[in-house]
Amino acid sequence: MRELGNFKMNNSTIRETAVPHHGLLATMSAFAAMVRKEFTIMLRYPIEFVASFGQVFLIIVILTLAASMFAPGGVQAGGGQTSGLVVYGFILFIFLSDTLWSIGFNVRREQKQGTLEQLYLSPASKFASLAARVTLTLFWTGLLSIGAMVLMSMMFGRLPFENGPLGLFILTMALSGTFGTGFAFAALTLRVKETGQTLANLFQFAFMVFCAPFFPFAALPGFLQFISRLIPLSYAVDAFRSTMMGYPPGYPELAPIGVELVIVTLFGLLMPPLGFWLYRREENRARRLGHLSEY
Amino acid sequence: MTTTAFYTPPTLSQKLAALLAETRLRLINVSRYPGQLGLEVIIPIVFAGMPILLGRATGGADAAANFALNTGTTNYVAYMLIGSNVFSIVSMAFWLLANWVRFEQETGTLEAVYLTPTSTLTLAAGVSLYSAVRGISAALIAYFLGCLIFGVNPLQGDVLLALLFIFVGLIPLYAFTFLFGALVLKVKESNALIGLMQWVISFLMGIFFPVAILPPMVRFFALIFPPTWMTNGVRSALLGVGFFFGEWYLDMAVLWTFLLFTPLFSAWVFRRVENSVRRNEGIGQF
Repeated sequence: MRELGNFKMNNSTIRETAVPHHGLLATMSAFAAMVRKEFTIMLRYPIEFVASFGQVFLIIVILTLAASMFAPGGVQAGGGQTSGLVVYGFILFIFLSDTLWSIGFNVRREQKQGTLEQLYLSPASKFASLAARVTLTLFWTGLLSIGAMVLMSMMFGRLPFENGPLGLFILTMALSGTFGTGFAFAALTLRVKETGQTLANLFQFAFMVFCAPFFPFAALPGFLQFISRLIPLSYAVDAFRSTMMGYPPGYPELAPIGVELVIVTLFGLLMPPLGFWLYRREENRARRLGHLSEY
Repeated sequence: MTTTAFYTPPTLSQKLAALLAETRLRLINVSRYPGQLGLEVIIPIVFAGMPILLGRATGGADAAANFALNTGTTNYVAYMLIGSNVFSIVSMAFWLLANWVRFEQETGTLEAVYLTPTSTLTLAAGVSLYSAVRGISAALIAYFLGCLIFGVNPLQGDVLLALLFIFVGLIPLYAFTFLFGALVLKVKESNALIGLMQWVISFLMGIFFPVAILPPMVRFFALIFPPTWMTNGVRSALLGVGFFFGEWYLDMAVLWTFLLFTPLFSAWVFRRVENSVRRNEGIGQF
């Protein structure tokens, strides 16, 4: 009886504490655990923490000082609009860059570490696995962006900051689309393996040139502007910085703000499901061909 | 019958052979990654392109005239390209040399390297030579290609003097990165440290602006750093922006002082750190 009683007690304990394998609760629980895992890994590298903040700050300072060399009074002339142009473009650049690496390339890291196969054998949601990386990017890169804005304001004077709510909406849609791009890049990484690192660099440079995060689109030659107009992220950059700078003369450059808003909203809504669909497709292919643990 | 093994220190020619073998090994290895080599040419052009395009847009028709008022030359394209290409050489020196010990550690070959009769300094010199060949080749191609893309003449001013500033500056630069390698050996988080360091350097050496605009304290640190003299030497030789001491031979003398002092100091620091890490079972661990 006692043994039976013990068994009953253990059984009920299991039933009370175990996490269900299916449903929203299970997905949320797996998601929370994955976010926690990502944060724990990040907190274990304090030097990387400090270094990434220093890098962000230095890149913006270097570009702003470079731009000030073209002003009649040099650094003393200040440059609210130039700083705004660089900082708001940089925010989107750093989110895209972090997304490519933290979502796309982390899948590759799991593959190299040998944990990707195990991850896919567990009943945990695959979407939660990707979304957990997004959460980390949102938190850390968001903090970096705010820090960079504050420091730039202190160094070069007040940054233009207009139309906050609309700017936030454009940023949200741009980030949503960027995360979708990250999912699609993760799919590509599964296919091309080590070449993913070179591709991530190439995408970053393509973004720097065609989406003009650090300079106005007007500075690009005509044929490059044509390519810029084919990329939705270009409209996100243009709409975001034009809105935050209060639409100075000549901005937005690519299209009227209403048209840009439609493009950015569609990009934000459609890209995540498309990216995730591509990822699942590539993941199934890798599983069928036994490539998940190969690198 | 017993056999006694005698240790004879390697001769100079053996050391040279080991050095060149290390260089060859690395060059063969990197030749297998053509995509990476292609990016090394594209990166400095794109990087210089950011301030060039930003400046053109913000300065408008007066961009060149305003730039000349602030820097001493109207040729802002060459000015930025020189900055980004010297930065590319410096950055590669940091990634390839300071990260070398860490790389061997991660691939599990460092302990084996330390068991060979070849000294660390000989192998490090081999890695430096490899890094210099790779960095300078990429920088030269990027400079000429960048000038072609942005439509400026790359062969203006005193090209030979510019090359002399680069070659003399390389030795103190590699000595400096070796010093930083000691820090990497100790702290271990090499990626983060080197990533931050390359931006600190680009800021201090005035990658896209003259160091004269920096506050006095920051300028002092910039001037005790060899790449600052390299960058300004090349710019002055090609674009005539003005040497720090007015004459090229005085600036060159400063680089020679760095050349004599930094290698000895770096080797001494590196050996101390290396011995301390080796005593504490830290060579093979990461």
